[in-house]
Amino acid sequence: MNILIFIKQVADTEARIIIKGDHKSLEIENKYNMNFFDEFAVEEAMRIKEKNKDVQITVCTIGSQKAVEALRTAIAMGADRAFLLDGSKAATNDPLAISRILSAFAKKEGFDMILCGRQAIDDESANVGAMAAEFLGIPHVSAILKMEVVDGNAVKVENEIEGGRGIFEVKLPALFTTQKGLNEPRVPLITGVMKAMKASIPVVDPATLDIPQEAVAAEASKVTILSYESPQERPPVKIIEGETPEEKVKNLVKALKEDAKAL
Amino acid sequence: MDFRLTEEQEFFKKTVADTIDRMVVPKAQEIDEKDEFPWELWKEFTKLGYVGLRYPEEVGGLNADKIMCMTFYEEIARGSVGFAQSVIMNILMGTYFLYRFGSKEIKERCLYPAIRGEKIATMCFTEDQSGSDLGATRTTAVRDGDGWRINGTKMWITNGPICDFATVLATMDPSKGLKGLNFFLVEKGTPGFASGQIIHKLGCRGTVTGELVFDNVWVPYENFLGAELGKGVFYVSDILDEVRLMTGAMALGITRGAYNEGLEFARKRVAFGQPIGNFQLIREKFAEMDTLMNAARLMVYYGAWLLENGMDARALAAEAKMYATEVCAKVVDEVTRIYGANAFAYEYAPQRYFRDARFLLYGGGTHEVLKDFIGRTILGKL
Repeated sequence: MNILIFIKQVADTEARIIIKGDHKSLEIENKYNMNFFDEFAVEEAMRIKEKNKDVQITVCTIGSQKAVEALRTAIAMGADRAFLLDGSKAATNDPLAISRILSAFAKKEGFDMILCGRQAIDDESANVGAMAAEFLGIPHVSAILKMEVVDGNAVKVENEIEGGRGIFEVKLPALFTTQKGLNEPRVPLITGVMKAMKASIPVVDPATLDIPQEAVAAEASKVTILSYESPQERPPVKIIEGETPEEKVKNLVKALKEDAKAL
Repeated sequence: MDFRLTEEQEFFKKTVADTIDRMVVPKAQEIDEKDEFPWELWKEFTKLGYVGLRYPEEVGGLNADKIMCMTFYEEIARGSVGFAQSVIMNILMGTYFLYRFGSKEIKERCLYPAIRGEKIATMCFTEDQSGSDLGATRTTAVRDGDGWRINGTKMWITNGPICDFATVLATMDPSKGLKGLNFFLVEKGTPGFASGQIIHKLGCRGTVTGELVFDNVWVPYENFLGAELGKGVFYVSDILDEVRLMTGAMALGITRGAYNEGLEFARKRVAFGQPIGNFQLIREKFAEMDTLMNAARLMVYYGAWLLENGMDARALAAEAKMYATEVCAKVVDEVTRIYGANAFAYEYAPQRYFRDARFLLYGGGTHEVLKDFIGRTILGKL
């Protein structure tokens, strides 16, 4: 079974992010990681590989040379090979263009299953998985929490739906986006780290893929950044006063009704 | 001159840092408070394979270069120096003589399990009356039949009370001074070998440090770890530079841990209506700390580069150990001042860094002895 994983390198949650003077770009501290939700995808692929014979795991990402670091992390966790899709000329801020490139790469490489995080924690768009599945004409289930390979041709997955769980049996090839709770991503073994350090990671030019180049070029982006704004500062915490717990609760309810108008 | 890490070394550094952040940092306070060896963390962590870091692949190691080794020592000490000391003892001093001189059986029985984290190693130099002054070693090892009879007591032994085996420095003849010294392997369970008093320390808690007693311990001849009798000190000098640089790297780790805490605090703590990081006297502290830290880092990693390239690092390694640990003591002190009274509370990390930093000033050689050594190296015999 060939498992293909789409990953993204994103700014670390603790990286300092400053909105530049023009309000249209960001200055991000040089701290990057593999997207949080993509780690579940790599881990799940590893678990499938450990339980089944002849599983090959390939990871890919679109980005700059810096993104190789995230690919190496996936190899350290156990992925067999990795590809960097050169994002220097592509509309990397547009999920539609990204999906086109990734799906074209998937078509070229071949796959039985595609896994990727439910969303990237930087732009939070949550579009790429579903769009790529659409371009490839394959079924997809998003935000899965459980996966079981039924046989080489189908998998049983569960995801969270309003008030319950959805249970699906899906014929392969298919795409699944992964959610927190699916598994606990492993800490790489040092042997994996050393393998990842030495791994050669080919760079693929999207121009060599079978896609209308004008649809993925930087100027074709359908996303226009109007302005970045900092989140509003939180109002100060209000301590509810009262002599007894009962009185405090009474005052809290009063504050929720009258001040916050939440009740 | 190129000070950049290679892309591979960068990746190694990041992965180690992430691993430490995930596995060690969350447990650091608990390790310090309980002051017990963190067995569960030891099992989980050593499973990852880092103990084989500096050994060749054919013995289960990774053949990491010296820059990578220092990176690892720095990062693990940033997480918890108490835990770091135990791990590094297995990586470096506790296994060095077994790797270099141990028989096939000794390697299979002790070295390889230690690399896998299944056995805990230690090395014993210090006694109650001797530390840096190795010539004053009183533990004796004399020939007895087909082996050696060892008698004496060792103090301040990292991992001592929980070790599965120990590399023990002993003299064949106290009148020979340094030329009478040799190393011997003593394994747990050998009659007469016992752990004595555990030392309750100000810092580096979680590492079990204590006394080891050798009461008429008999070991077979093959437990002598050396190629030639009387060359023990000579063999020690072969890893001394690495040990000193390692101590400097650990100091850098504590320094960075404390510095980052201070930075976070200065950005968030508000006084007189603004973050305290806006005040010049606080900024001055960061300017000083950053300068010192960068200088210490350059020395430690330059030393590692010298070692990696087979160049003479004797004086530099001693200087780097001395400087990096003094910088560490200075920075942890400054961070407690930035924290104000909160630094005096056990709930916050600065007091832990402050206590941990003290040990590195003496561990790996007191600075009085190191200065004398550096001076002698520079001036030569006049």
